[in-house]
Order: sequence, then C-alpha cells, then structure tokens
Amino acid sequence: MKKQFTRRAMLSMAAATAALSLAACGGNVGGGAAEGATFPSGPVTLTVGQAPGGSTDLIARAAAEGMAEKLGVAMPVVNKPGANGALATQEVAAMKADGQNLVLLNASLITITPLAVSASEAVTLDELDVIGGLSQDDYVMVASTKSGVKSVADLKKSESKLSFGTTGVGTGSQLAQALLLAQGDIKGTIVPFDSGSPALTAVMGNQVQVSTVQLGEAKPQIDAGTVVPLVVFSSERNSFLPDVPTAVEEGYDVPVSQYRAIAAPKGLSAETKTALVDALKAATARDSYKSFNESNMLSPKEISGEEVVTEWNELAAKYKKLTEQYNISLASK
Amino acid sequence: MRADKAPHVEDAPETDLPETDEEILTPEQLAAAWAAEAPEPAGPVANLVSSLVAMALGIAGLLLSLKLGLGTPAEPRPGMWPFIVSLVVAVLSVVQVVIGRAGGKDGEKFSSYSWYAGIGFATLVGMVLLMPVVGFEIPSLLLCFVWMRWLGGERWRSATMYSILIVAAFYAIFIAALGTTIPRLF
Amino acid sequence: MDFFGPVLDGFGVVLDPTNLLYCLLGVAIGMLIGVLPGLGPAATIAILLPLTYGVEPVTAIIMLAGIFYGAQYGGTITSVLLRIPGEASSVVTVFDGYVLAKQGRAGTALGIAAIGSFIGGTVGIIGLTFLAPVVASFALDFGPPEYTALALLGILLVATISGGSKIKALIAAAFGLFLATVGRDIFTGAERFTFGNLSMADGIDFVPIAMGLFGVGEILYNLEERHRAASAPATVANVWPSRKDLKQASGAIGRGSVLGFFLGILPGGGATIASLAAYAVEKKRAKDPSRFGKGAIEGVAGPETANNAAATSSFIPLLTLGIPANATMAIIFGALLIQGVTPGPQLITEHPDLFWGVVNSMYIGNILLLIMSIPLVGLFVKILRIRAAILAPITALITMLGAYTIRNSMFDVMLVVLFGALGYLMKKFGFEPGPLVLAFVLGSLLESSLRRSLLVLEGDPTGFFTRPISATLLVTFVIVAVWPMIKTVLDKRKKANAVLSDPKVKEKV
Repeated sequence: MKKQFTRRAMLSMAAATAALSLAACGGNVGGGAAEGATFPSGPVTLTVGQAPGGSTDLIARAAAEGMAEKLGVAMPVVNKPGANGALATQEVAAMKADGQNLVLLNASLITITPLAVSASEAVTLDELDVIGGLSQDDYVMVASTKSGVKSVADLKKSESKLSFGTTGVGTGSQLAQALLLAQGDIKGTIVPFDSGSPALTAVMGNQVQVSTVQLGEAKPQIDAGTVVPLVVFSSERNSFLPDVPTAVEEGYDVPVSQYRAIAAPKGLSAETKTALVDALKAATARDSYKSFNESNMLSPKEISGEEVVTEWNELAAKYKKLTEQYNISLASK
Repeated sequence: MRADKAPHVEDAPETDLPETDEEILTPEQLAAAWAAEAPEPAGPVANLVSSLVAMALGIAGLLLSLKLGLGTPAEPRPGMWPFIVSLVVAVLSVVQVVIGRAGGKDGEKFSSYSWYAGIGFATLVGMVLLMPVVGFEIPSLLLCFVWMRWLGGERWRSATMYSILIVAAFYAIFIAALGTTIPRLF
Repeated sequence: MDFFGPVLDGFGVVLDPTNLLYCLLGVAIGMLIGVLPGLGPAATIAILLPLTYGVEPVTAIIMLAGIFYGAQYGGTITSVLLRIPGEASSVVTVFDGYVLAKQGRAGTALGIAAIGSFIGGTVGIIGLTFLAPVVASFALDFGPPEYTALALLGILLVATISGGSKIKALIAAAFGLFLATVGRDIFTGAERFTFGNLSMADGIDFVPIAMGLFGVGEILYNLEERHRAASAPATVANVWPSRKDLKQASGAIGRGSVLGFFLGILPGGGATIASLAAYAVEKKRAKDPSRFGKGAIEGVAGPETANNAAATSSFIPLLTLGIPANATMAIIFGALLIQGVTPGPQLITEHPDLFWGVVNSMYIGNILLLIMSIPLVGLFVKILRIRAAILAPITALITMLGAYTIRNSMFDVMLVVLFGALGYLMKKFGFEPGPLVLAFVLGSLLESSLRRSLLVLEGDPTGFFTRPISATLLVTFVIVAVWPMIKTVLDKRKKANAVLSDPKVKEKV
C-alpha cells in the first residue's frame, strides 16, 4: 500500500510539474496563439465565477481533470468570483473564440438571476457556444428539529409565524421557496443569507425554522438527523433522498434545480468544438468523475450544448411566467 | 526646509554591516530622535480641507443613499444603512471642522519632497494601465528602474542590475512556480 | 478508554514518516508563500490544492493543515516587517508590530508572535481535542441578534484602540462602514454604489483595502520621508525576545489564548474580533495605555495569540458540525470533499482516523512551525537590511501582483493603488487607516445581521434583550462604551472638588 501511495504521489508531482512548465511558456496577453493554429495550442483555461472550494468550483476541477487528459494539455481552473458568476462569464464571452478559454456556467445565472437584477446586468447564452451540460444539483427544503415541522403540510398548519432562510437574492433557493410559499399560501418571513452554509447553520440552531439549500450541503446534516428534509424541488424523486417527496408530488408547480454546463466564447470553429465536446464526453465517462458526482449528490445531466440552450431558455421563460403569475418579486423585500 | 540634504547620498553599504552594537538605540532614545525630526503637523488649513473633503464624501453618500430609497426602520430599503453611516461621517466632519480649527498635533505638512510620493503614485497607475496590454514584465522593469534610479538615488548600474534581477525573481515565483494567471508577455 | 484509543491512534497516523514529511513540507511552503502579501491562508491553500490530489486523504489533510499554519504565520511576518496585513485578523498586529520593527526590534516582535501563536494554537488544539463536541453548539446559539451585538461590540473596540484624534478615528471608521455597503445588497439585490461596474457587484475585497491603505500608503509615504529625514531607521538588532519581553507578554498570551479560542468558534469574523478584543483588553489593562501604538510588545502578543487560537478553534465547527467558519475553512472543506470525505456531524464516528489525524497533525504542525520560525525569523528580519531604495519597488510590485492573484482581477490591482494614495493622504492629514479597515471588515456583518435580526424579530428591537447571549453582549457594549465617560466625569468632579475645597464653598460639597 505504501508503495502504491508513493507512486501516486510521484505521479501527481509529475503532473503538477508538467502543468507548471506548460503554463510557463508563452504569454497570456494580446494575440497569443498564431492564427490558424490547431486546437489546442496550449493550456486551456477553465474560468469559474465562484470562489474556490464551493460546489461549482469542485465540479469544474473534476471536469477539467478528465478534459485535460483527453486534450493532452493542462487545464488550469481559474476562479474569478463576482456578481454570481456574471463577471467571469462576461469576461470569457468577450475573449477570442479559439477554444483556449472556457467558462463553467451555472444555470441560475441565466434562468433566475435576470429576475432579480436589472436587464443590463443579465447574462444571456447568446454570446456563448455551450459545449455540453454536466450535472443537476437539487435544492432541498429542510426544517430545524426544534421547529417540529416534518412536512409541507406542517408548514401550512403552523400556528407560529415561521422564518425561512434562503441562500441569497437571485438564487434557486430563493425562487423555489418563494414559489412554494406563494402556491401553498404559507405565511412566513424570508431571511436572506450570504450563501448556503450560514443558511443551513441557522436552521441547525433554530435561528430560522426552515431553509432551502443545495442537497450536497444538506445531506450530511440530514443523515445525522440535525435537520429534517421536507421536500426536494426536482421534478422527479432524487436518487440520494428516495424517501423525500418532491414539490410536484405535493401538488406544487416548483421544478427548480441548479444545472451546470461548460461554454466557450461564441464562434468556435467546427473542429475545435468537436474536440472540446469529445474531451468533455471523455471526462464525464471516467469512473473517478462518476464517483465524484455520486459523493457530491449530483445527478448527471450530460446533455448536448444545443439541449442546454433550449432547456435553460425554457426554464428562464417558465420561471418568469411563474413569478408573474404569483406576483413574486425576487428583487425587493 | 532641508533641501541641502541631497537625496542621492544615501549610500548604505552593500552587504550587512558587522554588528554595530553601539548604534543600537533604546526605543526611548529612538522615539526622542524621531520626535526631534518629526515634520510639522498638518496645521489648521489642512484640518479644514480634510474635514471638508470628508464632509463632502458624507454628503455624497447621503444623496446616493437617498436615491436608493430609505424605506422605514421596520422595512428598510437598500439606502437606509448607508444613509445612517453617511450621516455619521458628515456630522463628525462638521465636529472636526470646529474641534480641529487650531490645527492639532497630527498629520504632516506637505513639502517639496511630497512630489516623490506623487511620482511614485503615477508610476503605479501607469503599471496598472500597461499590465493588461503588454504583460507585467516590462512595466515592472520600468517601475523598478524609475523607483531605484530617480526616487531612490541608486546608481545607473545597480539600478539596472537589481531591476532585472527583481523582475526575473517575480517571474520565477508567480509564473513558473505558482502558475498564476498574471498577464505576462513571455 | 473509548476516548483515548482513537486519539492515540491519531498520533500514530501523524508520526508516520511520510505524513510528517508532508506536514513539514506544508509548513515550509505555506510560510514561504504566505509571506507574499495578498496570498493569505485561503489563497495559499487554493493555489497549492492540486499538490494534494494524488495523495492519501489523511496525508493530504495533514499537509493542508501545515500549509494553513505556515501561511498564517507568513502573514504575520509581512504585517510586522512591511506593514501589510495579509488578512483581517492580523490588521491589529500592524499597529505595534510595525513600530517595533522600525525601532529595530522586528526580531522581538516576530519571536513573540511565534511563541504566542504556538501557545494560542496549542490551547486551541487542546480545546479542540477535549471540548469540541461541547462547545460546537455555541456556534449554533449565535443567531442574527447575537452577531449584531458582537459586531457592535467589535466596532466599539475599533474606536477605543485608536491612538490619535478620536473624532478622526470615528470618521475613518464610519467611512469604513460606508465602503462595506458597496456592492449588491444581499436583501434586495439592488446595486449600491457600484456605478454599473460588475467587478464591484460583490463589494470590495478586504485585501485590496488593507494592502492599499497600509502597505502601498506606507511605501508612498516612505518615498517622501526618506528624502525629508536622512537618518536611517534603527539598526536591525536581530534579537530574540528577552526574558523581560517574555514576562511582559505572558499575560497577554494567556488572555489571548482564551479569547481567541472561544471567539474563533463563531463562523464569520470570529478571528478578527478575537484579535481586536485581545488588543483592546491589553490596552485597557496596561498601566500606561499610551505605549500602545508605539511599540508595546503586548500589542503584538495578545492579538497574534488570539488569532492563532481562533484559527485553530475555527476547525471545530468544520469538523464537528460541517460548517466552514470562514473562507479558509471553506477551501479546506472543498479539499476534504475532493478527497471523498464529507465533513459533518458524522465525521468523527465514520472517519475517526481522519478526524484525529487532522487534530493531531495540528499539534505537529504547530510545533514544526515554532521550530522552523526560530531560525527563519533571523532570515526574514534581514529583509529590513535591504536598502530602502531597492526594497520599495519590491514591496510595491509584490503587493500589486499579490492583489491580482486573489480574484485574478486587474480591477483589484487598481483598487490597491487608489487605496494606497488614500492611505498616504490619510497619513498626511492625520487619519489612521486601522479603524477604517477594521470597521470595513465588521461593517457587512453588522448591517446584514442587524437587518436579519429585524426580520427574525419581526421589527421588535426588544428581542435583542430577551435573548441571553445578545443581552449579555449588549450590556458589555454599554459598559465598555459608557464607563470611560463616567470615569471622566468622576475624575473631573474629583478635580473640581479639589479646587472647590476652598473653605468658602465647603458647605456645598
């Protein structure tokens, strides 16, 4: 076992050195690669609009590992957090369409954020070539153990006014929860937090009674019994929480999930796009990637780039319609 | 004014001094030495100007916050908190205008040497503007050289040599070893 | 001995030569990278994360813990030597640490910081070993009202620790609070003071502000100062803290350990408030508070001990509850996920080897740090012997490149330069940057907790006083705020009495 370990260490060291030496040749300003050079002509950068360590970042790193192997070049993951990912996406969209720069997209940026911010800041898929979809990350509504709430029905019956934590403005957590409350005519105070972790912590301490967070974050707490799952917002039952009903089953029209995809600036040549699509397919087919999905509660959703565009645009339209129908405004209050 | 002290005579020895123990001053002696050399305090005009600038910032904050909407204490709109904070800035600035009208002991007067800081700032801005266009190497080299030769009074040769060494070292650390994505030419 | 079995096994894991080597490697690399301004523990770990991919989980985590400790201390080095705090919790160290360095006592400051960090860290780890499950729930008892009270107390401490003009310090602090409101309002999504710039949508990062106001501001100021006063700064006496220094700092180290341990458990801002509180406590206790800000050794020992104890106890919510307490913990959380381990309430039962391996690696990492820092302090202090004309561009460049790496953004570099100019001007006009930076750090915590509290309490402010923890904190706030006023009034009356004890008016007394 020890021998194997040293070999792994050596391999990783070797890989790191290779990546570094590759990264160390050639500048990264201005023109860079010569026109007509074959793809890939150097390291392919995958930009992530979220801070390192979060689920989006981890997904990017898992995908980049496999893609780098297939493409035969290093694929560094660069974090440019800002404005829910809009900053990174706009930056990459403005780059040259040579396939050397990719961005990891969160669906919520396209489908939900526009409901909360002004039109000028909204990001659309028009400026991007989507390479392919990656996975689906579900939202789950959890209640604190002290609140005594065990189901959506309990929420409706509750006599005391409940507080509902969300992971922020313009997130799937906020939208899903707001839709459920509106459709069920449940009264409560919405309390926005900065991200998933404090929203979950607040439920654990009964500071708020209910929160909607991403499944990967909530799962360890659900398993440990520190929070009670009420409902998941995927359209079908989640394979990681088979006993928890979906909102649709409970009679609510709230199909909200987080999806992720990889995209490049618009206008890739056909060969480059094929190479990237193949690399992505190879990456998602790897066992290590599959087990990564498994351990992070992600359901694979490896659809083509065209399907991503249609599905996301449909979702955006649907969410817009639902919020108008129930008179929900994500932006104020 | 001590204009007679040319800025270029600061010729510290190249290598470490052998322990010059007798030069070590106690903190108290040092404090006394510093106090003796301390520049003149900024004075009443500087106090007035800086307080007015702070007040202007506070008022600008107030206006911008009003534009965001205040709401009510029970249901605050985005401008409520910045409004309160800006109000504190503005009110305290007025207080400072009055309290500090005699000048006080803090701050420092600008002197002809303050231009050095101005030039330093200008080169830093230049570096920020050039870096995304031509990478960090050339602007860094120029900045090092300007700071050593003209702001620091190094000789041509040592300024050139150290500038090149420094940029090479930065390249080795940030690009080769850490693999960061700092804009670069090579 | 159900408890000690796994603990001892954990030591076995850590003392395995490979793991020990990785720990040493982590501490060394962490310290070397952490010493680059801008690259605090979080950034250092993020950069080095790929090194751990191919390694066994326990070894990887041990290495990360080593990097964490090393980077933490690396930040102290820049605070003391160059006046560039790498993260919010070492801002306070700058006040006295940098002055000590200018007095030629950088070795003393760094030595005390190393010893304090070691003791604080050790107290933290012992607490983590024995108290983790008990105190973990402490973090859960902190709801929005408690955080509001804590942030208020923190802001008050900011005002008390300043040395110069109180009004100017308050103006700077209020301006810091204002800067903290820049960005997308998390309650309504409205853009505040961003002028349509997406780079500011998430607000301004702490690092450009701190590195600009302190670091670049000082560099610009020195460009001028060097020519104005030709006398060289104090000779660098490479002295290790003397027995007298140690004795003077021992109380501060003890108090800092306890303060740091408990405040560090709180997610969000715990370590910063701990360092602030430690400084304030030392200043309050000192016979001659005016020494602070002019090179008081306790002013380095207290906060440095506290922030290291806090850094260690911030592992408690991560390892026992699965809550990452700050950005650094979030990255370690991610690193654990990559290794296929999900931190959470069940970690200790499902992966006892890993849990105790991590905890015990901290003991080792902490000791290794102390052993390594002793010879390295001497080396780092030599930085100050570099001629100012050459050191200045090095520091300026390193600050700017470091600022870039945080978010890979040129905008942040521009911010550093602009805040550098502001820092220079503030110095010229007698405003201190400390209150601004610290208030900035606490500002978003204060605003969002306050607004969240009002939501949870349904707009009823009496709710703050019916909750035991927030009530206690608010009472402390009132005492700390009001006591100096009462004291001045009392002193004045005493003096007045002394004057009035003139026979003619005696009957009045």
